[in-house]
Amino acid sequence: MAEETMEQIIKPDLNFVKNIIASGGESLKKCYQCSTCTVVCDVTPDEKPFPRKEMMYAQWGMKDKLINNPDVWLCHQCSDCTAYCPRGAKPGEVLGAIRKMTIEEYSPTPFAKMAGDPKYLLILFALPVLIFLGIIGSLGHLDNLLRGHEGQIVYSQFIPVPYIDTVFILASIFAVVSFFIGIKKYWTAMSAGVQLKGNITDGLKATVVDILSHDRFQKCTVAKDRSTAHMLVFYAFIGLAITTAWGVVYLYGHEIFGIQGTSLFNFDQTPYAPLYDPMKIVGNASAVALLLGMLLVTANRLKNAEKAGSGSYFDWLFIVVIFTIAVTGILSEVLRLADVDPLAYIVYFIHLVFIFFLFAYAPFSKMAHMVYRTTAMVFARQAGRE
Amino acid sequence: MDKKIGLYICTGCSIGDSVDVEKAANVAKNALKVPVVKSHFALCGKEGVDLINNDIKNEGVNTIVIAACSGRVKYEEFDFPGSLVERVSLRELAVWTQEPNSEEANLAAADYIKMGVIKAQKGDIPEPYLMETVKTILVIGGGIAGMTGALQSAQAGYEVVLVEKEDRLGGFINKLYKKVPAATGEYKEPLIVDTDIDLTIKEVESHPKIKVFKSAKVEKTEGQPGQFDVTITSNGNSEVVKIGSIILAAGSRPYDANKLEHLGYGKSKDVVTNIEFEEIARKGNIKRPSDGKEAKRVAFIQCAGQRDPNHLPYCSAMCCTTSLKQAKYVRQDPDATAMIFYKDIRTPGNLEYYYKAAQNDPGVMLTKGDVTGVTEAGNGNLYVEMENSLLGDKVKVEADLVVLAIGIVPATVDDPILNLKYRQGPGLPDLELFDGFADSNFICFQYETRRTGVYAAGCVRQPMNIAEAQEDATGAALKAIQSAEHVAKGVSVHPRAWDVTWPDPFMQRCTSCKRCTEECPFGAIDEDEKGTPFFKPGRCRRCATCMGACPERIVSFKDYHVDMMGAMMKNVSVPEDDDKPRIIVLACENDAYPAIDTAALKHMKIDPAVRIIQLRCLGSTNLVWIADALSRGVDGMLLLGCKFGENYQCHFAKGSELADYRLGKVQETLGRLQLEAERVGLVQVAIDEYDLVPAIIDKFVARVKEIGPNPFKGF
Repeated sequence: MAEETMEQIIKPDLNFVKNIIASGGESLKKCYQCSTCTVVCDVTPDEKPFPRKEMMYAQWGMKDKLINNPDVWLCHQCSDCTAYCPRGAKPGEVLGAIRKMTIEEYSPTPFAKMAGDPKYLLILFALPVLIFLGIIGSLGHLDNLLRGHEGQIVYSQFIPVPYIDTVFILASIFAVVSFFIGIKKYWTAMSAGVQLKGNITDGLKATVVDILSHDRFQKCTVAKDRSTAHMLVFYAFIGLAITTAWGVVYLYGHEIFGIQGTSLFNFDQTPYAPLYDPMKIVGNASAVALLLGMLLVTANRLKNAEKAGSGSYFDWLFIVVIFTIAVTGILSEVLRLADVDPLAYIVYFIHLVFIFFLFAYAPFSKMAHMVYRTTAMVFARQAGRE
Repeated sequence: MDKKIGLYICTGCSIGDSVDVEKAANVAKNALKVPVVKSHFALCGKEGVDLINNDIKNEGVNTIVIAACSGRVKYEEFDFPGSLVERVSLRELAVWTQEPNSEEANLAAADYIKMGVIKAQKGDIPEPYLMETVKTILVIGGGIAGMTGALQSAQAGYEVVLVEKEDRLGGFINKLYKKVPAATGEYKEPLIVDTDIDLTIKEVESHPKIKVFKSAKVEKTEGQPGQFDVTITSNGNSEVVKIGSIILAAGSRPYDANKLEHLGYGKSKDVVTNIEFEEIARKGNIKRPSDGKEAKRVAFIQCAGQRDPNHLPYCSAMCCTTSLKQAKYVRQDPDATAMIFYKDIRTPGNLEYYYKAAQNDPGVMLTKGDVTGVTEAGNGNLYVEMENSLLGDKVKVEADLVVLAIGIVPATVDDPILNLKYRQGPGLPDLELFDGFADSNFICFQYETRRTGVYAAGCVRQPMNIAEAQEDATGAALKAIQSAEHVAKGVSVHPRAWDVTWPDPFMQRCTSCKRCTEECPFGAIDEDEKGTPFFKPGRCRRCATCMGACPERIVSFKDYHVDMMGAMMKNVSVPEDDDKPRIIVLACENDAYPAIDTAALKHMKIDPAVRIIQLRCLGSTNLVWIADALSRGVDGMLLLGCKFGENYQCHFAKGSELADYRLGKVQETLGRLQLEAERVGLVQVAIDEYDLVPAIIDKFVARVKEIGPNPFKGF
């Protein structure tokens, strides 16, 4: 986002234009630059507003102006612009495509390319499938998946916790490192030639409050319901994160520190505490919220398809993954309690594969928006773009 | 022929309930000695019309005064061929705009009937001016407009003579590589197609009714519509051809790009015009002239020298579409980009879809911006420099080749083309109003020029594209045919396309002052060797500007002359009461009078002080009317005419302006009577300004009241 003080030389990049179009910005070329989008946008800053300038840069393939641009993340794809565009262009989707390309640009591994391209979908899934099959096979538990298992269904016997923890801790480390590298590059690129004000901690705090309240998102008009759906999913994730942490406390609190369970807090019975255990209540409630949230997300997208556009592969892959996680998560519990064998194991297996997909590929999939958007919002705040 | 007048008063449309018809009838019978006076409750109905027809047949009535509604309605019902018909607008002027059954309304009715009868008494049954005519149509210019005009005329059965200055027909299209395809609605690929101009050329050259002169020029045009003598020279041979009417399709030429040095033209070989680019594209791959390298990034600069007061002030209308088309030439190479820099993209009508379709190509990039210059990039490429662009405030865009979308200059800008042997000059007058284009402000009459029988089409008239030129030429062909046919029948062309009268000057009294020859908006009056005016009725449009101009008052039409109109004005009642002024309103039949009719239709009240008289055109106003009327005690005179000046709306181009000019000298006339010049005024009214008419009149009445009563009142 260099200030345009000196005369700059523009070299249009046709391939970049084609990439945007291929990434979900099919309508890009319909824009005739009238600026209706910018006028109707409720979330843009007043100075140098978006999205017309982004549409221009995109049409001219001006990659630098887009990839280093925090504005594309200030956009919450309310789709008011898309609904009012007199030419049928969908600035919301174009900016979505640019966001995808930003993630792709800064994520340090080849996974970035693969996450956005349906060609590689099988390979991406093959990795967790093979990992978990390998674990199961080495434990000699493959039979559980095919014919089931005698006795009560206990997933932690099927794949013991240390295996799960190892896999997911490694996946998380990979994700965190990838995020860190990506965000660092992104921040550096955005900062070039920009005067930043205030300290980052304050900016981050304010941004987190903004995100927690969904203040910006709620300014949307056309896709108003999306903010509710997103909030539900967002808090469901927080609930599930709390549940996970809680489970870890129960498990290691008991095993390492020898904490004994009470009638309410069943330290000793993890991970299968009774349903009245507060951890269980939070977990189940979050799971239901997640499912409801995702139903709403999908319904809104379908309902608004005409006004807002039907979304890209990148979007839908993310939706399908979370949806599957919610459904398989709930089913795993239900089937376990109902003792449906071997279906419970199969569903649990699928659940693990999708969780892996979500965690390990987070820096490359749409999940990365969580980090990139937050970063861009902090940056925008520092750069005085509010 | 002896005239027998019949006055027919309609009592329908509440006329009978609002004014004393019987009293008015008696005035006509006794004071004006009208032999037949009848009234009917629905004169326009079959019974009413039969009543009149019966009198024509049995009573020998041949001059009919119909006191009913405005002459602008029911003209089909009140059409009595062979008779002189005069319409008195009782309903509009004495009923709808006045208080019913008031003294004023009755007085107005009597006045209007009286004026109608006087007009009928003074008029004669017109006979058309017949002369030997031909109906051959001359088309000047063999481009797409000219060829279309020729084909359309020939297909309608008329002989056509086509004159082309080059040795090949086709004109501007010959220079094109491809054209924009024809489409109604959305455009689909391919967005560039062959011009197929050869097919049209072949059709023209093989048509038995079209005679083509190539490498030819119109040396001179003499005579008048229906009998033009046109001298055509071709390859050194001259030939005189008899012509009925003319389609002027002389086209345009590109603006001189050498004047666009600031855009790099002439400085870099790689800055070319859009016309030169057609030639480059025709050769296959787009290669730049300087080093023959393939041009992968081609920049198009719109409005190069256009909409620019230093060059062409106007928009050339087709360059935006042309650049979009040429961008598609560039895009025949899938890796190439075409970049278009514009002020506004102007793709009128259906071409908006073309814009959409071309823009949808990822390699066609567009931005608004003010191009400030084209400079060398130092590596053999060029920079297009811009300000206020959508890409940034001050940016440079690198390009391999720059195309300037230059505009067009009409052929008529510096060449009369027609070479008319008219007293007023060889070309079309006042074209500077239209930047040299052979256009007019005749909103309702496209293709019109100020020379009757000459109709302009294509880019000589306005900047336009191929499809528009074809449509234009078809329209002009119809007008040319109409002109040839009307002249053959001795009928005027628009706007008085029904009129069989013609100016018949009493030449013995002509002083050869030449005011008429100078003022005629259509150059209809030449002069003979001795300098005596010489009317060419075929060129005349019957506005009667000559009648208004003539100080000797010798120009007359059978149903419209100075004496007749003067007599009407002299005979309006002048109230003796000093508080009741009498004002005569002279209203042009084209705009002002219809506006008054509309005000009447809306039942707007008009001050009873006025008597409204319809004129053919304010240009026919003779100053003697003012002197005569005011010397009879009329308190004031208001002229209502069309807007004049740059955006004139006068149907005769100059009429209202000339009237205004003459009024500038009215003080001379009024000075002799020791009257104030302010008693006479002129107000411009457009046809849609009917709602303003009552207020305009009120204001004028107030002005006259302030001056005070005319001292001649009662004499």
